[in-house]
Amino acid sequence: MLERRAAVRAAGRRLLQRGARGVRNVTPRKRLLAYLAILGPGMITANAGNDAGGIATFASVGADQGYRLLWILIPITISLGLVQEMCARMGAVTGKGLADLIRERFGVRWTALVMLALLIANGGVTVSEFVGIAAATELFGIPRFLSVPLAAVSIWWLVVKGSYQRVERVFLLMTVVFLGYVASAFLAQPEWTKVAAGLVRPSFSFDSAYLFTLVAVVGTTISPYMQVYIQSSVVEKGVTFENYRRTRIDVWVGTVFAILIVFFIVISTAATLHRNDIQVSSAADAAHALQPLAGVYAEALFAVGLFGASMLAAGVLPLATAYSVSEALGFEKGVSRSFREAPIFLGIFTFLVAVGAAIAVLPNLPLIKVLLVTQVINGLLLPVILFAVLRLVNDKELMADRVNGPLYNIAAWATAIVVTLLSLLLILVTIFPRLVFF
Amino acid sequence: MLYLSQVLGRPIRDLEGESVATVKDVITRLGEDDHPQIIGIVARYRRRDFFVSRWRITEISEAGVRLNSDVLNLKPFERREGEVLLARNVLDKQLIDVDGKRVVRVNDVQLIEVAGAWRVTGADVSLQGLWRRLAPAGFMGTRKPVEVIDWADVGYLATDEATVQLKSASGKLARLHPVEIARLAEALSYHHGSEVVGSLDDETAAETLEEMPAAQQARIIGDMDEERAADILEWMSPDEAADVLGDLPEEKAEELLGLMEGEEQADVAELLPYEDDTAGGLMTTEFVTLPRELTVGAAIARLREMAETPNMIYYLYVVEAEDSWQLIGVIALRSLILADQTAPLAEVMRTEFQSAHPGEAAKEVAQRIAEYNLLALPVVDQAGDILGIITVDDAMEILLPKNWRQRLPRLFA
Repeated sequence: MLERRAAVRAAGRRLLQRGARGVRNVTPRKRLLAYLAILGPGMITANAGNDAGGIATFASVGADQGYRLLWILIPITISLGLVQEMCARMGAVTGKGLADLIRERFGVRWTALVMLALLIANGGVTVSEFVGIAAATELFGIPRFLSVPLAAVSIWWLVVKGSYQRVERVFLLMTVVFLGYVASAFLAQPEWTKVAAGLVRPSFSFDSAYLFTLVAVVGTTISPYMQVYIQSSVVEKGVTFENYRRTRIDVWVGTVFAILIVFFIVISTAATLHRNDIQVSSAADAAHALQPLAGVYAEALFAVGLFGASMLAAGVLPLATAYSVSEALGFEKGVSRSFREAPIFLGIFTFLVAVGAAIAVLPNLPLIKVLLVTQVINGLLLPVILFAVLRLVNDKELMADRVNGPLYNIAAWATAIVVTLLSLLLILVTIFPRLVFF
Repeated sequence: MLYLSQVLGRPIRDLEGESVATVKDVITRLGEDDHPQIIGIVARYRRRDFFVSRWRITEISEAGVRLNSDVLNLKPFERREGEVLLARNVLDKQLIDVDGKRVVRVNDVQLIEVAGAWRVTGADVSLQGLWRRLAPAGFMGTRKPVEVIDWADVGYLATDEATVQLKSASGKLARLHPVEIARLAEALSYHHGSEVVGSLDDETAAETLEEMPAAQQARIIGDMDEERAADILEWMSPDEAADVLGDLPEEKAEELLGLMEGEEQADVAELLPYEDDTAGGLMTTEFVTLPRELTVGAAIARLREMAETPNMIYYLYVVEAEDSWQLIGVIALRSLILADQTAPLAEVMRTEFQSAHPGEAAKEVAQRIAEYNLLALPVVDQAGDILGIITVDDAMEILLPKNWRQRLPRLFA
């Protein structure tokens, strides 16, 4: 009797005999969800570039240069896609974040340098997000010395108390407003022949304003935080090289989609602002480009989108930076830790939020100018990250046979070198404004 | 006492004090020893690496290494099986600190000379350790005490070198609770996390896996050697094992199922046809049934003699007869112990009880368990046969919001 172990195990055998044995089918619904879950990091990351700084930069590009700079979007799409794909691939193959890999392969000194660059670049972008919050709320008539500290405190509170993820979706939804630029671009009736010409005919100038805009565009589309972010998301989602194909598609689709939005922002601002010789010097100016679509509601619509995008990034960015730095340097991390347990992690996060908010409330701050400058800082620091990424992705010990192919490498190195040259050139013409090349 | 960073790059001098090479790395061999001995040094001279055995070294200090001979063996260095290069495999890598129950990154390695032999004694994880390497040589900075993890507490070394044997001392990891091991394994990269699980014995590995998110369970089991995976699945509770198999590709799941032992295989196979979000998908097949004619005393005796007692014995399910599955009543362990020893179960059992059908929505069943304050709920088919039970912890998993279940913040979720 007792060998039956009170029939515990036998329960299954009975059903087995009845023929119940079979493997549960994965339902199509589950498959679809799995697909949607994985189709994500690339899309989110690439489109995160269209934040406050991004909108300001692209609006300025359209307003100042008209369609002249459109051509740059094509090489930028390729470069952004390449860079993001390399990071996503590293995440899938190694299962480690970019900061981790830099620490493990390059040692302490290089890590310190890269992390410093990341800290400064992300600090700049965080400032730009709070400036975005200021600009957005001022469109509604709320002074920034009121709205910015309030936003900073609530972001800090939400993140540390762990309910930020729920609020995040609201902010994300608000950014859908920026899709309005697509409609606006068509309604503004741009001269499509000029658009086409601007897209295919490269123009270049050693004019410092032109270079400034160019580096800002590069800096805001290929921001250093995006590489760190996408690699972490890929690791977090548990993508392995076996199911990496979908992630590759996601990265490229996301990149093309993000740049398409940029394309329409530039067109709509060029067709409305550049045509009337309006320079973008305030958020209200940038909102004008939405008038063909929204008429008198353009400002309100723009303000909602800008607020959502800025709040979203103002929370995520300092947090992601604190994670990266803590991870690379091996400090305790996590928002659930107390200040005593994780002083550096929470310190960095608090510092970035506080400094970002403090700079944004400075009186008489030229908002749009600040937004542009932060994107230029991004552009200047980008080479540091790019060269680190390139060395890592070609490391055979790390990537085995998943290193870049020769053609891929040529394109990727070209990106890194061109971005570096552009940055150097900008520094040069800024220091010596009278330098004449031709 | 020395730190690895104070030795790396320093000159190696011969008898005359002539610098003949520089220190590139320090070699040890991880093994049974809590504090492994240094067995030699990788020397670098003119872009070539060669091995210097510890027998040739008279002194190691901040000034460098002194040799006891003028002759150097210039045979190129090749790492042998089981050897660990401290700079290459340990420095800047992550490890599991069993004592502090956390994953840390090695900022420096502490070396101590004991009775003429240098040993690896600890991993410096403090800011000071970082500073020591960042600051220019000779600049010591603060005198604050450093935070060093005793090498004896290193449970796992997350290095990518596949040939580093014994990098995980599973005996040390097994001192931790499976919940803790799972949390630590999740903090590491996926590859290292599954290595940690793989290094545990079957039972601990199964318990650890059960504490991990479903997707990760399936990934780790799916990537494992099939025989081993099947062994671990056998140790898991049938409902968890069925969930894992359900998340795997069909062929793989069928293969693993085929490799499992008879009884465990049957238990799991029975659960597989049920959808995740139904009572059937939630239930487990580990429960105790007793025939109605048994006396209370005999029932207690039988419970005591069971070789494999299921976790859930607070409710005992009374069936029509020895070979029957017809559920007619439930007895709580408490009533069983308090009842008259000679009374038959049929007299003590409760005939009014809650039950669920296998197709019922998991959420509703879970709510019912919470509402009636039950520890478990039997799942009964059309014919009135008991199929399995749903325990309160499985019900909680459904009812609690996601954030509660995974306390660790997920940044990019």
